[in-house]
Amino acid sequence: MVSKKLRVVHYLNQFFGGLGGEDQAHRGPQIVDGPIGPGRAIQGRLAEKGEVVATAICGDDYVGERIDEAAAEIVQLIRRYDPDIVIAGPAFEAGRYGVACGAICKKVQETLNIPAVTGMYGENPGVDLFHKDVYIVQTGDSVRTMDEAITRMVKLAMKQAAGHPIGKPAEDGYFPRGILVNEESDRNGAARAVAMLLDKLKGRPFEPEVVQPTHYRVAPAPGIKDIGSSTIALVTDGGLVPAGNPDGIESRNATRFGGYDFKNIGSLAAADYDVNHSGYATVFTRQNPNRLIPVDALREIEREKGIGKLHERFYSTTGVATRLEMARKMGRAIAAELKSEGVSGAILTST
Amino acid sequence: MTSVALMVGAPRVVQGVKIVNPMGNEEMDPGAEQRLRRDIATGALHALQAEVNEPTLFDRHKA
Amino acid sequence: MRLELNIIRITKVQSADATAVRNGVLSVNRQELEELVKQDTRLTDVAIELANPGDKCRIVNVADVIEPRARIAGSGPDFPGAVGVQGTAGHGTTCVLRGAAVLINDYNIGGRQYQRPDEGMIDMWGPGAEIGIYGRTCNVVVLASPANGTGTDDYCVALKIAGLKTAVYLAKAGAGLTPDEVEIYDHPSIRETAGPLQDLPRVAYICQVFTNQRVPLPGDPVLYGHHIEKMVPTILHPNELFDGALTDPYRGYAATYIIQNHPMVKELYQNHGKTLHFAGVIISNAPSNAPESERTANVAANLAKWILGADGAVLTKIGGGAPELTMARTAQRCEELGIKTALALAHQGIDASEITLKASTVFSNVPQVDAMVSMGASIASPMLTLPPADKVVGVADGSQTGKELRRPASDIKGSFSQLGDSRLVAVRY
Repeated sequence: MVSKKLRVVHYLNQFFGGLGGEDQAHRGPQIVDGPIGPGRAIQGRLAEKGEVVATAICGDDYVGERIDEAAAEIVQLIRRYDPDIVIAGPAFEAGRYGVACGAICKKVQETLNIPAVTGMYGENPGVDLFHKDVYIVQTGDSVRTMDEAITRMVKLAMKQAAGHPIGKPAEDGYFPRGILVNEESDRNGAARAVAMLLDKLKGRPFEPEVVQPTHYRVAPAPGIKDIGSSTIALVTDGGLVPAGNPDGIESRNATRFGGYDFKNIGSLAAADYDVNHSGYATVFTRQNPNRLIPVDALREIEREKGIGKLHERFYSTTGVATRLEMARKMGRAIAAELKSEGVSGAILTST
Repeated sequence: MTSVALMVGAPRVVQGVKIVNPMGNEEMDPGAEQRLRRDIATGALHALQAEVNEPTLFDRHKA
Repeated sequence: MRLELNIIRITKVQSADATAVRNGVLSVNRQELEELVKQDTRLTDVAIELANPGDKCRIVNVADVIEPRARIAGSGPDFPGAVGVQGTAGHGTTCVLRGAAVLINDYNIGGRQYQRPDEGMIDMWGPGAEIGIYGRTCNVVVLASPANGTGTDDYCVALKIAGLKTAVYLAKAGAGLTPDEVEIYDHPSIRETAGPLQDLPRVAYICQVFTNQRVPLPGDPVLYGHHIEKMVPTILHPNELFDGALTDPYRGYAATYIIQNHPMVKELYQNHGKTLHFAGVIISNAPSNAPESERTANVAANLAKWILGADGAVLTKIGGGAPELTMARTAQRCEELGIKTALALAHQGIDASEITLKASTVFSNVPQVDAMVSMGASIASPMLTLPPADKVVGVADGSQTGKELRRPASDIKGSFSQLGDSRLVAVRY
């Protein structure tokens, strides 16, 4: 039985699409029949199983300046060819190109309901932005790795098109998409830990199941010059909320924060507050909310002119199992609000 | 947990008391606890005024 | 120290006039057992419920699970310091009713939590019974209310001790029988093993037992009858864990049952003399602030290096994210002293959307701490549809727990383990 030949549409930027270099990055979307440039290698890999029926091309700046609209425009061009799958790139290290590939693949999946695959290098911002939505094959950082990139992309695309289950990221060469599954090993955790230790002791190679996180470096703000005239604010991730948790801040994996006024108050009263946090025993902070948001201490210092003014709104969220991305987002939002209120410094109490 | 804060890159970190009671200590009498909270807050204000280049741990008692 | 466990296999538990074990059936004189539990005047409304695998029975609010064990006369006091008088555990002969379990249920305290705030649910049939093991053990549930004038703390301690007493009472019924099998745990002192096993790497196990991110229950008989929240790391003989020296902190992240059958200690025993020399067990808690974490890490690493002479160490933690700090620091200190480490981590909070499967953000950036095993992530638990139960044990009247429930597998007691008995591994896709 002969299976249907796959119809593939390929996306390339202005450079790989043969329009020119940076000077052509402004070019709008267009589509031509058949494969171009790297598309020929894709055709080679597909052999008789598939056909690159068209190549969509667009300038990186054109996409970069209007990502969503450009992706939609390009998808409209693509749909005319009635493809089974779309392959974009590979973009290697090129950031705008990678973002464009990711955005277009995502739009293809959403609009045309067909699989889409792209490929790029780990540091490409497109990975950070789109790895959860799109299968992004891992490539090297330059065109020298084109062959391998194309091979992986085609293989993954064909698996998807056939509805076959996709293997683990390491097996199929793509960036993990953030889907976490508990699988069953052949041995219990204790056995695997002892075995791993023995390998390490003997100097044998081993494959860790967990790796260390890397952390962003934040540029420190300059020190406050005149503390006696500055406004200081209080923030916490210990889950302090007004009684009843009016904003419904989650007790773990928070996606919200709240700003709560305490005008003319010298000390936070236990009766007015709740502590909503599943990561620690909240008995002591409930007894005395000042143990999280130290209004009483700061009021004393304010009276003695140790600071100019205590900002009369505190910010709070819940810091347990909270996603890094969400924490950064909330941090930026809180900082923006504080800054607009003329606050110079904030004390964050963390549990 | 100050080491966590330093690890994730917080530039200015002041030592609190404990997870369940960061700016207090239920084992102390209220007056002593109040003074402790004041000390930690003062340490925090001191940290806010300092110039730092990298994640730095500050003592709570410095004025 | 030599410990022999006489294992009696239990396949059914039933109510009867006399407590006895015969042909794998554990008969329980519930009234007699209730009287025994009532001797502690801090408890009232005592009830004993029985549940067998296959019963359409749902048990909730399980605060701890204990394997019925009793030391054969002459071996020493049971659960020394907690139930029995002070003494040492881990030597002599202990009778074990394998396939049975004692559960304690604290539904009367309306959600006051000491360690992990979970429902501790067990389904004896259906999809829930496939998760963990307690859906497949013959369970004896101890229920009670606080007596008039008894505070919550005292009630919880009394309930826990009642569970331990029940475990002893039941196992005593099997003490005179010929065991179905015998497990022998014989580990002599360092002096005796040093010579013959000198070519094998010496491996220590550093085991966290309690996390200070939770408030400890005053009077909780964790180590030889007393709590360990301020404890500095110490060394125990591995047999002590198997034989009642250590219980899981009240409503802890593990269960006394798992400590009694400690998977990591078992694994090290199995490898002892073959691929490694089991150097010993160091127990510690996880402090709630950085300076005490440093102290714990330093003391534990020093014990491993200078007293146990370890070449390598395996570490487990107990609790959420904060104990990972103590674990990381301890591993780092060990590596600095030349002890190679491997860590077994179960993920409580983890950012699943990050590119690589990382330890929680609490982990240190220490390159030598690179051997880590993942024992699953609770957030990656599949959702289960649990059918309606014919009987629910351990709820207040009017609870809706008996109907069909949609719950993550992690709500089932024992689904997820930080000590190494589970086969789960968290995989990224």
